[in-house]
Amino acid sequence: MEKILLLFILAPLSAGVLCLLMRRLAGLREVTALFAGLVNLLLAVLFLNSRAVYSLPLLGQAGEFSLRLYNFSSFMILAAAVFGFLVILYSSVFMRGRDYLNQFYAYILITLAFINAALLADNLLLMLFFWEGLLLTLFGLIAIGGRNAFKAATKALIIAGASDFCLMLGIIMTGHLAGTLTISRISLPLSGLAGVAFILLVIGAISKAGSMPFHSWIPDAAENAPLPFMAILPASLEKLLGIYFLARISLDMFKLAAGSWASSLLMIVGSVTILFAVMMALVQKDFKRLLSYHAVSQVGYMILGIGTLVPAGIVGGLFHLINNALYKSCLFLSAGSVEKQAGSTDLESLGGLRLKMPITFICFTIAALSISGVPPFNGFFSKELIYGGALERGWIFYLAAVGGSFLTAASFLKLGHAAFLGRLNEKNKAVKEAPLRMLAPMLVVAATCVIFGLLNFIPLRYLIQPVIGQERLGGHDFSGLHVNVFLFAVTIAVLIAALLDHLYGVRKTGSGLRAVDHIHYAPLLGWIYDKAQRGYFDPYNIGMGLVRIFAHAAWCFDRTIDWMYDVFAVKLAFAFSYGIRKAHNGNYSLYVIWAITGAAMVVVFLLKSV
Amino acid sequence: MPSLLILVPLLEIIFFNLFFGIQMTRIALWSAAALFVFQILAVLMHNYFFYNPGLDRINSFFTVHLGADRLALIMLFCIAAVCLVSLIIGRYTLTDKKQRFNFINVLIIAFIGMNGIAMTKDMFSLYVFLEITAISSFILIAFRRGRASLEGAFKYTVLSSVATIMMLTSIALLLFTSGDTSFPGLQSALANSKHNYVVIFSIAIFICGLFIKGGLMPFHGWLPDAYSSAPPAVSVLLAGIVTKVCGVYTLIRLVTGVFGFSPGLNALLLFVGLVSIITAALAALGQTDFKRMLAYSSISQVGYIILALGSGTGLGVIAAVFHLFNHSMFKSLLFVNSAAVGLQAGTTEMDDLGGLSSRMPVTSVTSIIGFLSASGIPPLSGFWSKLLIIIALWSAGQHFYALAAALASILTLAYLLIMQRKVFFGKLAPGLESVKEAGLGFSLVSIALALVTIMAGLFFPAVFVSVFEPVKQILLP
Repeated sequence: MEKILLLFILAPLSAGVLCLLMRRLAGLREVTALFAGLVNLLLAVLFLNSRAVYSLPLLGQAGEFSLRLYNFSSFMILAAAVFGFLVILYSSVFMRGRDYLNQFYAYILITLAFINAALLADNLLLMLFFWEGLLLTLFGLIAIGGRNAFKAATKALIIAGASDFCLMLGIIMTGHLAGTLTISRISLPLSGLAGVAFILLVIGAISKAGSMPFHSWIPDAAENAPLPFMAILPASLEKLLGIYFLARISLDMFKLAAGSWASSLLMIVGSVTILFAVMMALVQKDFKRLLSYHAVSQVGYMILGIGTLVPAGIVGGLFHLINNALYKSCLFLSAGSVEKQAGSTDLESLGGLRLKMPITFICFTIAALSISGVPPFNGFFSKELIYGGALERGWIFYLAAVGGSFLTAASFLKLGHAAFLGRLNEKNKAVKEAPLRMLAPMLVVAATCVIFGLLNFIPLRYLIQPVIGQERLGGHDFSGLHVNVFLFAVTIAVLIAALLDHLYGVRKTGSGLRAVDHIHYAPLLGWIYDKAQRGYFDPYNIGMGLVRIFAHAAWCFDRTIDWMYDVFAVKLAFAFSYGIRKAHNGNYSLYVIWAITGAAMVVVFLLKSV
Repeated sequence: MPSLLILVPLLEIIFFNLFFGIQMTRIALWSAAALFVFQILAVLMHNYFFYNPGLDRINSFFTVHLGADRLALIMLFCIAAVCLVSLIIGRYTLTDKKQRFNFINVLIIAFIGMNGIAMTKDMFSLYVFLEITAISSFILIAFRRGRASLEGAFKYTVLSSVATIMMLTSIALLLFTSGDTSFPGLQSALANSKHNYVVIFSIAIFICGLFIKGGLMPFHGWLPDAYSSAPPAVSVLLAGIVTKVCGVYTLIRLVTGVFGFSPGLNALLLFVGLVSIITAALAALGQTDFKRMLAYSSISQVGYIILALGSGTGLGVIAAVFHLFNHSMFKSLLFVNSAAVGLQAGTTEMDDLGGLSSRMPVTSVTSIIGFLSASGIPPLSGFWSKLLIIIALWSAGQHFYALAAALASILTLAYLLIMQRKVFFGKLAPGLESVKEAGLGFSLVSIALALVTIMAGLFFPAVFVSVFEPVKQILLP
């Protein structure tokens, strides 16, 4: 019975390897991938909220191969399986005719297998193994996007590798402090070295989730990598894993209190991520790039929510994780539809597509309303919970969260306006609606957005609240449509303000795309934006600059050492050699003098030494 | 038995010259070879040949007291082996029948002298044997009677006489103070008068005499000229064994058995050793002549032996003896190779040579083994002796000298690499297209010496325990 847990890993993995082998069999490959995705989904549904432990001692205590299925991990696996299946379905149309398709499906399936394994792993070392394994597929998925993609893939690999190194250090320290690597048995108080270990683990977790300052590969990858990749990895699966692990470390593995510095640290990281990423999103002029900044910004809400460590915040954070995965994949998929049908995601060349692609437009609108937190969509409810939690901890965090919402709403008004409203571009006269297999995933996800909003007790009561446990919830039940009047009023006011701002911007510039120019080119802000767009604030670029300086210094040092060995030492030796050769002039009387002088010195030395 | 090693060659020479003369060159060659081989075998089976009580009657005819301990046995082996090599090389390089006959005779005289040095237990007879060896060496160096040869021999003669004066004075003074010239007698007399200035003075000048014989810096002036101007067979003999026996072995023997270690003496040996190592290595770096470079290399390697001796410990003495053995093997090998190159290419000037590895593969490969062993590359035997030297120095607390010895190996490797590259690697130099291997004898000798180097390295533990470790027994209690 317990061995069936292995199926979660082996089924997608073997299908992935099979796909890799099928370079020519175009139809069969997609069928295999879809079948594997479906099997994975069915397994996840079957085992939802069940408990099982599978353990196989491998390398003694430290390397135990132990998997643990319980409500939290089963719920995450279900979510991953749903998105995985939908993305495979979508890709079967979207990706048709592209290169490296065998690799694409193989990487997606192997990613699913590794995510399942990392979610199931009850041993930190085992989890790390699969966590690092994801780097491979991440690199592969970006790299097959073409020539430019390779650079983005390298950047992703370096950033992820650096933060995973922190994770590794954190795991070593945690294992040392706790005396065990079994996750379910670790419970450390947050003091001294444990604090350092906690920070290192958090770096690993939030980097996987795509938070600032580990985000900068996401917008780059968005432009180059195949679009379904964006929908599946940075937008949903990686966030699932990252936030799952963040929740595990802050709720289970370390004893965090609501007022501790660690909690404040998480909230600060969350708030900063929300604000800065959404500011960047606001001024993007590319559909996919704009969405990718939102993928970063929304993580901030989750970190903020979990970081509050109050029941409302934690529930909100996890709920937001699911909601974000839903509407963000819907948004990316609609971007994919637009890219596939109109041939571009540059907002300059888009516009008026609502008539040509009505279903895509509807799905987009639902998702955009959700992400902006408009009632009664799912994003509204999770954000309200996070607001509530943040307000409990400090008004400044609340302000950051609300400010983020304002900018989110403004940027989606701009995006929707520029892409779907306004005048139809001449080039796009012949654009048609996307095919059914692409629309179906979008429709399913959009519908789920509505359902999770109106009937929010389904996810909250059956999926999320059991994860946190009655003990921590303190008897609260956050489901239902009742809301805090103050929070509701502020939210509505912010949304109206965003709409007014948009209308002001449109009136001023006469274009949806330039509706945010008054913010973009505001004094000082304009200058900062300019620098940010050029990558001056990208931690990767700064880090690389430092590395380059260090490399240059090391190079100079190396040259000097080389010179010492290759030039200086040799010249010195030959100078001596020349001198000694000159001294040997062949005159025997000189040699006799040397010998006698030497003898005299020896005699004097020995006599003196007595 | 020890006396037979002196008597038999002596009788042989008398026999050759008295009755047959030049007609017997061929027989003389073979009987000399048989003599050397016999000595090698005798050493290898020393339990049977030496310490034979039945020969006491013959030994008693000698007033000179002779005896062979473990150290002497190793030297007797080296002496016979190098003489055999030299004889074979002489057979190939000396074409004139008369010259060859004379060469064999003088070689046997030098052989007698060295055997005597190795086995004597008396200061004055040591001096006599030293002179026998030295005079036969003068003749051998000047054998070709060219201008350079005569100059080399002359320089050797001059500096050797300086050494003779020093040693003779020293012996006279020692006799004056102790009334005895036998090693045990001298040793006990010296132990009682450690602070006597006359004794110290006589020890000092005797050691300086040995420095001249051994060619240590700055007493080395004669050595490069003598080595490079001598005929090839004589170069092998001089570099391989003569200076080692006359200078270094005698020094080891006297310091361990007669003078005894003292801090001042140790410091002197360490300093002279290091100066020789580094200065000679730097000088070798700039040489353009194959044989001259090897001559400087010899000085440098002798420096290592003296350095090991200067550590003043049992391990140091073992290391010194082991390096002495290794040196006589790989340096003979390199000189044999230089003789082969000189014979076939007509020159030993390295700038005119090049690319000979394709023409003389055996010579090239064996000289690679020789120079790697000299530079102390594992697993060749030179590595082990250098390692022992460094360990001995380090454990004696001489960290600076240990470090310097280790670093100086780089210089050794540097000049020998230059040699190998200029002579054997690279493009074939013009005019050398028709060069061939020098002959079966050369090749066999090179291969045999290379094999000794490899085997002594590979089976180092066995060789060390059975051959070199017992050398400790010569140390004063």
